[in-house]
Amino acid sequence: MKILSRIYLILVFIFLYAPIAVMILISFNSGESTTEMQGLSLYWYREMLRDSATLEALRNTLVLSISSAVISTVVGTLAAVGIHRMRNRFLRGAVMSVTNIPMMNPDIVTGISLMLLFVFVGTLLGLESYLSFWTLLIAHVTFNLPYVILSVLPKLKQMDKNIPEAALDLGCTPIQSFFKVELPFIMPGVVTGFIMAFTLSFDDFVISNFTSGSSFETLTIHIYSMIKKSVKPDIYALSTLIFAAVLLLLVVYNMSDRSERADAKTEKRRTLRFRGKEGGAAK
Amino acid sequence: MSMNGKKLIELRGITKSFDGEVVLDNISLDIYEDEFITLLGPSGCGKTTTLRIIGGFESPDSGDVFFDGVRINDTPPYKRHINTVFQRYALFPHLNVYENIAFGLRVAKVKDDEEISNRVREMLEMVNLKGFERRHVTTLSGGQQQRVAIARALINKPRVLLLDEPLGALDLKLRKDMQNELKNMQKRTGITFIYVTHDQEEALSMSDTVVVMNEGSIMQIGTPTDIYNEPKNAYVADFIGESNIVDGVMLDDFSVKMSGQTFVCVDKGFGKNTPVDVVVRPEDVDVVAPESGMLRGKVTSVTFKGVHYEVIVDIGGFKWMIQTTDYVAPDAVIGIDIEPDAIHIMNKSEYSGMFGDYSSFSDELDALSENSEEEED
Repeated sequence: MKILSRIYLILVFIFLYAPIAVMILISFNSGESTTEMQGLSLYWYREMLRDSATLEALRNTLVLSISSAVISTVVGTLAAVGIHRMRNRFLRGAVMSVTNIPMMNPDIVTGISLMLLFVFVGTLLGLESYLSFWTLLIAHVTFNLPYVILSVLPKLKQMDKNIPEAALDLGCTPIQSFFKVELPFIMPGVVTGFIMAFTLSFDDFVISNFTSGSSFETLTIHIYSMIKKSVKPDIYALSTLIFAAVLLLLVVYNMSDRSERADAKTEKRRTLRFRGKEGGAAK
Repeated sequence: MSMNGKKLIELRGITKSFDGEVVLDNISLDIYEDEFITLLGPSGCGKTTTLRIIGGFESPDSGDVFFDGVRINDTPPYKRHINTVFQRYALFPHLNVYENIAFGLRVAKVKDDEEISNRVREMLEMVNLKGFERRHVTTLSGGQQQRVAIARALINKPRVLLLDEPLGALDLKLRKDMQNELKNMQKRTGITFIYVTHDQEEALSMSDTVVVMNEGSIMQIGTPTDIYNEPKNAYVADFIGESNIVDGVMLDDFSVKMSGQTFVCVDKGFGKNTPVDVVVRPEDVDVVAPESGMLRGKVTSVTFKGVHYEVIVDIGGFKWMIQTTDYVAPDAVIGIDIEPDAIHIMNKSEYSGMFGDYSSFSDELDALSENSEEEED
């Protein structure tokens, strides 16, 4: 039984990672073939760095995903605080449903509807080109927002409501209380929200495809347009680099998470030890 | 007593309701300088809401709050010379002990690091936490967190300290120690302490003044001895300690009839043949031989309590609680004697007949209801 379950596990992982492994391998191929390894080289990496269109698409994507992540983190955190403070339960429920809909909505619907809106507003304003970096940014902030709100809200709920009150009690104005006490408390949620927004924005294709004009090409759109012509291995090289970056981000994130957990563990142990001492002193 | 001191806080006709439910119903209360005053009552009696109104975290629907003669209804908490020790401490988890205590000074823009460090050290000394400066607050035990919360609240030298059931989460031994420490701290600093608890023993042992509350109203205000010896009505008599509350008739001054017998008492001024509630504390009842007792009854249960036995006696259908150091056997018939000064007479009130009969008494039930009280508020 044990062997069977282990084999099953290995199969699952092969299924998950084989495509990536193949892609990484082929990215080091010295020939142009996608089926036959002709020798190891960094040729396609050099090719990729020489391809200015791809590099610009990468730069565009980074600019877009970082700025949309920053904006949606700020706006989403404020929204979460607002939702958390709502006293009317019915209203809060309604706002939460409205928040969740864009998440459940298929990307294609969100993309088409945003495009329609931008074209409509663009026509009203008499603009020459309806779609640009700015429409793309608005679209990305829109679909990122609910993820930020949903990662910040639980931290707010965890916070004892006396904590901000204690800050007011000690002389903080409500604004000071937010920055000195509440924000540090919900920071882990804010960071998680930011990372989620960044990755979602980075790898989005469907919505971007509908809302970006011809003037601004993201990486996913660029790759898609390349595939339509012919697939060159420099795309594999780029994908490998992105995969490595994501892996690195994940490892760093997990390590910080684990060290936090380890802290909590040693703290707990220490507390128990001190409890013991206190009990001893009492006797 | 501090009643002679200067009035510091006045509550005038405070009414407050949440979602249409009245939590405070026309409360008026004077609090004096250098006073240790306790708001005592079961959960939901409005004691915490009263505290929060004084602290500025809730505003009354109607009525006024005065501080030093100035109306402060609309003054936000950060502008009041009042600090609070919260029920679950509410320490700032991202700061260490030192920074938690120094928080008030930093917000007040005290720039001199030496002054901050001196005052933090002074506070740590006062709460016996020397050497804990660099410790993270989440690594502290409940008792230690409690001390940090007190130090943090006192560093700005407030005129009033609010304490919301601060000892509720501590174990019994630690709680007793902290009670003494808090009392001493209040005496030493001269700061007015407003203390909220549902624990009557705590209230009696620490306070200069006890305010007994129930369902949003104040039942009685007085010194601990007043409250214990001269409860105003059956509710207070029952809530503060154990009491037998018997239906009686005041025949004349110094003479009351209950359970078919006439007793000499020390109360007067109730008129002739007036129905009253008679309070007799269990420790004031003497067990005697059945033939020589003023009243006679059958023992229905005996519980050993360490210092004394708790005996429930059926006298004419009414179950009395008696605390005695002499063992009596269950089902035995005993007589009881009551001295005149052990009898306390109260006017009939809306609470008459609701309390003070031990026919349905059970320790287990008592413990249960106490636990549930600690939950909310």
